[in-house]
Amino acid sequence: MTPSPLVLNGLVVGAMLFALGLVGILARRNLIVMFLSAELMLQGVSVSLVSWSRHHADWGGHVLVIFVLTVAACEAAVALVFVLQAFARTGRLDAAAWQSLRESVLPRVVDRELPASDAATLVFPRLTPAGVEPEHDPDAALEREHV
Amino acid sequence: MTPDGGLSSTGSLLAVAVGCAAASLWLLLPRGEGGLRERASRRFGMLLGAVALALFVATGRRLGGVGEEAVFLIVALVAVIGGAATVVTRSPVYSAIWFALALAGVAGVLLVLGAQFLGVATIVVYAGAILVMFLFVLMLAQPTGMASYDRVSNEPLLSAVAGAVLLGLLTLFIGRLSAGPGECCAVPSRAAALAGGTPPTPIAPEPPADSAGRDPLADNHVARLGGELFGRHLLAVEAAGVLLLVALIGSIASVSRTPPDEGPDAAAWRAGA
Amino acid sequence: MPDLDSSTLLVLVPALPLLGALLTVALGRLLGPRAHWPAILSIAAAALAAVTLLVGLGREVFSVEKDAHGTITTGSLEEVQTLWQWASIPDAYTPPPGSAAVDVGDDLAAKADGRPATLPFSIGIDLRLDPLTAVMLAVITCVGLLVAIYSIGYMHDDPGYPRFFALVAAFVFSMSMLVTASNFLLVYVFWEAVGACSYLLIGFWFRKPAAAAAAKKAFLVNRVGDFGLAVAVFLLWMTYGTLNFHDTTLADGSPLPGILGMERLNDPSGYVAGAVGTAICLLLLLAACGKSAQLPLHVWLPDAMEGPTPASALIHAATMVTAGVYLVARCAPLYMACPAALTVVSVVGATTALVAALIGTVQNDLKRVLAYSTISQLGYMFASLGTGTLLGFTAAIFHLVTHAFFKALLFLGAGSVMHAMGGVIDMRRFGGLRRVMPITAATFLIGSLALAGVAPFAGFFSKDEILAALHSRGWPDAHAEHHDAPHGSHAILPTPAEMPMRLVSLRAADAPASSGAAGSAGTFRILYGMSLFTAFLTAFYTFRAVFMTFTGPTRVPDEAGHHHHGQAGSAAHESPTVMTIPLMILAVAATVSGWWLFSTHSLADFLAATPSLAARSVAATATPHAFHLDLALQGTFAAVAGIVLAAVGHLGRRSDGPQMERFLGPLGTLFGQKFFLDEIYAAVVVKPLEFLALVAAWFDRFAVDGLVDGMGRLPLGLGAVLRRLQSGLVQRYAVAGAIGTLLVVLALAWQLRT
Repeated sequence: MTPSPLVLNGLVVGAMLFALGLVGILARRNLIVMFLSAELMLQGVSVSLVSWSRHHADWGGHVLVIFVLTVAACEAAVALVFVLQAFARTGRLDAAAWQSLRESVLPRVVDRELPASDAATLVFPRLTPAGVEPEHDPDAALEREHV
Repeated sequence: MTPDGGLSSTGSLLAVAVGCAAASLWLLLPRGEGGLRERASRRFGMLLGAVALALFVATGRRLGGVGEEAVFLIVALVAVIGGAATVVTRSPVYSAIWFALALAGVAGVLLVLGAQFLGVATIVVYAGAILVMFLFVLMLAQPTGMASYDRVSNEPLLSAVAGAVLLGLLTLFIGRLSAGPGECCAVPSRAAALAGGTPPTPIAPEPPADSAGRDPLADNHVARLGGELFGRHLLAVEAAGVLLLVALIGSIASVSRTPPDEGPDAAAWRAGA
Repeated sequence: MPDLDSSTLLVLVPALPLLGALLTVALGRLLGPRAHWPAILSIAAAALAAVTLLVGLGREVFSVEKDAHGTITTGSLEEVQTLWQWASIPDAYTPPPGSAAVDVGDDLAAKADGRPATLPFSIGIDLRLDPLTAVMLAVITCVGLLVAIYSIGYMHDDPGYPRFFALVAAFVFSMSMLVTASNFLLVYVFWEAVGACSYLLIGFWFRKPAAAAAAKKAFLVNRVGDFGLAVAVFLLWMTYGTLNFHDTTLADGSPLPGILGMERLNDPSGYVAGAVGTAICLLLLLAACGKSAQLPLHVWLPDAMEGPTPASALIHAATMVTAGVYLVARCAPLYMACPAALTVVSVVGATTALVAALIGTVQNDLKRVLAYSTISQLGYMFASLGTGTLLGFTAAIFHLVTHAFFKALLFLGAGSVMHAMGGVIDMRRFGGLRRVMPITAATFLIGSLALAGVAPFAGFFSKDEILAALHSRGWPDAHAEHHDAPHGSHAILPTPAEMPMRLVSLRAADAPASSGAAGSAGTFRILYGMSLFTAFLTAFYTFRAVFMTFTGPTRVPDEAGHHHHGQAGSAAHESPTVMTIPLMILAVAATVSGWWLFSTHSLADFLAATPSLAARSVAATATPHAFHLDLALQGTFAAVAGIVLAAVGHLGRRSDGPQMERFLGPLGTLFGQKFFLDEIYAAVVVKPLEFLALVAAWFDRFAVDGLVDGMGRLPLGLGAVLRRLQSGLVQRYAVAGAIGTLLVVLALAWQLRT
């Protein structure tokens, strides 16, 4: 019996999430974003598993997704420690900062000179002490592209 | 339930969708450009992405009722758009927030698929716990200003093509599943096996899936899932508990107190940073 | 020695020196200056055993003889002992029909019917005892013992003292095994073993470039001969289906006649003649030429004098170089079937004798004079073997024995001179030494008289026999008449009464051979003349050396003072007792052995009982023993003439005078350059080989190595390109991995498309 349309569509959505996560893992250099991409792949797999579970009328997929959640939580805990360690050593969250595996005769890969970003310096909101009026620039708050 | 036209038309549609997806991802991924050019390529990328999504929707199967179809379409779009935005957004903080949106979409998809418990659990565990942890880490680690590594991707074209091709392949295979009985790739369904022919080893007495696509697992869902989890998979649940404990201890133990500048390549990193 | 039977003694003769060698190797450093004891004691015991064997076998031979005149069955004189089976391959060889291996002869044709179609390749460690072996063993061990004793004095402060004695003992072991072995493969093995010992002894002072080069030369030149022996062994196997000397029985009980076994020896048609037979004989001759330094392979022997003098005496004068003579004598029946090969043996021998004597006349190095004289005397032996008569074979062995004594004596005397002169051996640098070292002078003179062939000394009798053998082939009719009317004959075997009849009958039987012999009479006349002239030259160069060294004004080189005694000034002195005693013993042997062995004919009769020499073909040529006064006079005249000429030139004069150069003129240059043989070899053999080696080296360096290096550079080049991919960026690796996986999946999807 062919899978029902719902199952098939679920599978396609899972595949899309998985592929997007893969692109993120491969392309993005920020360790945190890479991590988010990995989680995205896990979400894609979860959707697929649940779809198959529905197709087979079996609890296995559901149970497996619960374990995926558990393992993802563990993985996040451990991996974030490593990310912080890496940041402590390099001051960057850059996957390309680690190049010691390269052939010794090759030079370090260095990013080309980037054009000046038109994005303003990233300014995070800051809490002002109670009773003091917060500093604000209404124009900047409206036009800022990045947090 | 409108059957597709020929496989070939589906295939060409899929190919176009894959191409659009690849181009869109490439355009959207940060490539170290700046100014007008970057903005223009972004817009065009979004457009292409919308086209690709539409094409994928077109290749998908029509569902039964209007309500169900609309709901599924919306949550699926939220999930996929959220995921894409997670991947392509420059700022990691925005990435994380987009990821939260994607999680919401995924939770919706799971609900539509009949996994109520998992949908809720995903929101609770991911959006509530893991994602918050990410944001904490970002606050600890993110330097001021836009970092160069957030503005430049690693092999954007190749990555985008690889991802799109993977998606195309998966979609192709999924499409093959529905090609009809007698096809080599048709997957035998347990529900179908229960309906006719010899039943496989019964795990639990399940109501057979009806042809209308009713979920056989829907009745008394959470209680049965819990029974399954703590009955058949009890040992695995205990093992998962141990795993959580080990991860906790491991992450605490892994926090090194080595000063950052004692690493082997510290000087080079500093120079590169 | 009633307690030990002959088989035990036979094993002891080679085993004891082997034990001595191993002990010296194991304990040499421990024993230090006493390192000679294991070797000396073991060789002495072996010598005792060998002499006991010789005496016992002699008794047996002569007692058998008394029982039945002239009808000795060779079976009683051969004793073969197989220690253990070395190699055994059943059904190794299927002889073609009509092969000599199966079809031994008329009387064996009947037996051949029942013979198996295949023959096994079985090689045992077979030791044999027969008169020839016994004589060789006695000579080897006795001379070896004397040389070893002498070496105690000669080598006393050499850093390689234990090594020397280990090598001497190993040499005695190898040589005694060589003459004891009863199959050709074993002979080959120990033929190589003595070659190896010789190599090691010549190169004993391997730090000296000349010694190392001489050792290498000896080894390489011997290789040519060894090649001949190897091919001869192969041919023998293919021809006769066995390599054993003795008869054996196969596993199924059927007899397998050995190459020199009774069945074949008693069979007139037991040996293959024609091309194959001649090829075997000539290859064996090539081997003998290598080991015994005959033309054209003689060039290694003079250079071998770079080794220690005792080694020269032991190996390159007395024993090893006689291995070739032994081999030819042992294979006498094979040669008898091929008269052409025999003639070649004689021609090679006589030519070598003459050429070596001519070169010897102008040598100024005392040891080299002796070396060339050795080559020359070995040439005599080969000339004698080549006559193909019983007289010739026994005379060759006779000369071998006497030569072993007087040449060892001369070499040890030369060593004594060298020892006293502080290593100087050039005769022009010393003179008048008879006043300094009287014992050496006297013994050396005795040895020289023996070598020159002056009447009562050993060399006279043996050389006279050789000349008689050559003469008998050159003028067969005269000898036939001579023997028909026996006068002054001391014949014991066979009795004069029976002899003519046997001779006549055999002559009739061997009609083709005798006609061939008549045809070669002219050749042998020339050879006889050459030998006589060689005798004259021998006397000349020998006494030239004697007069240059021991007469004239006493002069001693400066190096003599640097002797180990540390005395300053003219410290030249007589050698220590341990060196002079062997000299005196050998002098006595050189004086009396010839006369005694000749007058009693014991050696000749004894040897005639050797299976090889008792073969019908050889025994048929037996002649009554006779003393040929005319030949003796010719020989003596030649010797005396040589001595007189030497006296005219050198007696009482300073040894560094220019007499020889003035006398010989350009001929002297020719002789002095050894007939330019080394140069000819260099041009004909060495240079082309060097060129070939150059070409091969070039090919190796650029073609072969280039290929190999290219194969090595290929990965390097690929690596240089692919290395650029190893950026160390993990994400790039991840991209590559993902794309690779996708490609695999795509390929699978393409494969599974419907």
